[in-house]
Amino acid sequence: MVRFKNRYVLCEVVSEDPRCRQCIEDRTLGLAVRDAIARVHGDYGLACCSISFTVKYLNAYTGTVLLRCRKDSYRLLCSALPFVRYLESRAQRYPCFLNTLHVGGTIRTCQRFLIQYNRTQLLRLLQNCTNEEERQCIQKSLLSCSLTEEQSQSGDEEEDDGTE
Amino acid sequence: QNILTVCFSVGYSAVALNHVIDFKEKKQEIIKPVSPSELFPSLPIVQGTSKRIKILTRLTLVVSDPSHCNLLRSTSANIRLYDIIAVFPKTEKLFHIACTTLDVDLVCINVTEKLPFYFRRPPVNMAIDRGIYFELLYTPAIKDSTMRRYTISNAISLMQICKGKNIVISSAAERPLELRGPYDVANLGLLFGLSESEAKAAVSTNCRATMLHGETRKSACGVVYTVKKPRKVEEEETAVPACKKAKTQA
Repeated sequence: MVRFKNRYVLCEVVSEDPRCRQCIEDRTLGLAVRDAIARVHGDYGLACCSISFTVKYLNAYTGTVLLRCRKDSYRLLCSALPFVRYLESRAQRYPCFLNTLHVGGTIRTCQRFLIQYNRTQLLRLLQNCTNEEERQCIQKSLLSCSLTEEQSQSGDEEEDDGTE
Repeated sequence: QNILTVCFSVGYSAVALNHVIDFKEKKQEIIKPVSPSELFPSLPIVQGTSKRIKILTRLTLVVSDPSHCNLLRSTSANIRLYDIIAVFPKTEKLFHIACTTLDVDLVCINVTEKLPFYFRRPPVNMAIDRGIYFELLYTPAIKDSTMRRYTISNAISLMQICKGKNIVISSAAERPLELRGPYDVANLGLLFGLSESEAKAAVSTNCRATMLHGETRKSACGVVYTVKKPRKVEEEETAVPACKKAKTQA
């Protein structure tokens, strides 16, 4: 069957500044990644990677980003991701870095991985949280997160929304 | 300490803290390493497993003169406290000495300027046989564009000689934002000319091998070799007491 194969790269934006998370937008992130590819791989790399390059999913609360690119050029993209140093929006620079979590062939595999990853993150938060209420809240969300059948086309499932 | 917290949240399970000793100054004492328990009252747990995180201490000697290497032979007590010892040779002769005779775990390859010497195959092969790893830094590449060019050219020339074996990629991060996750560092290895499996090994298995090398260097002084004696002698020995017994009985 002839169809275009894509690779979906799941990343997490890590930064020290708490304001950085609020200003993450798909356009700013796309620009930052393209800029990094241009710096590392030059014009050829930028042209190759931007054939089918979009930011598919963005979660400003957790800083999760899902990027899409062609299967032939995902190596160029992945090797240029460590070079993203800051996000620039509204004339302000926020230093940050992208942490690659998972590369998958479909959105669904990335979503599955994301749910597992969020589960482990919640467990870690559980260890660190001091308030009893917070503890119970987190435990409840842990027990209720799952992959449900009602999926929007952009794979918009977070464990807070997912219920049985 | 900030850097360490970010490290562990990103997914590293063992971190080595580096002290650099430069010999340009007249006399330098080797400081005792900072004990990890001073930094963290209780070591946090690795993400995903239930083991504690290891913090190791590491010493880097910047050598530009053969007389500096004598420090390694000296029985200064402080050297033994470091888990991993690395050497940063500045000339070709020192590179040769470091690969062949010096008692180190890592040989650092300069990434910030054009290498003054070319790598040759014999010392590199001897280093691989001895279990010494070559180390590349990636933080200068992230910071600056000219450093990036030097890093990539030096790394690729190293790859051409050693075929991608025995490489460790590490960061010299001074701020938590200069750190990158392990998957990203493996992808950086692709830029340096490593194949995908070699790049993943450069982050995981080679580092563990370096840790073990450091441990053996600290503890092992000699090897006890036991050889099984051939069976004939054994039977004769057992035969003799039997004869003796027969004689006494008789």
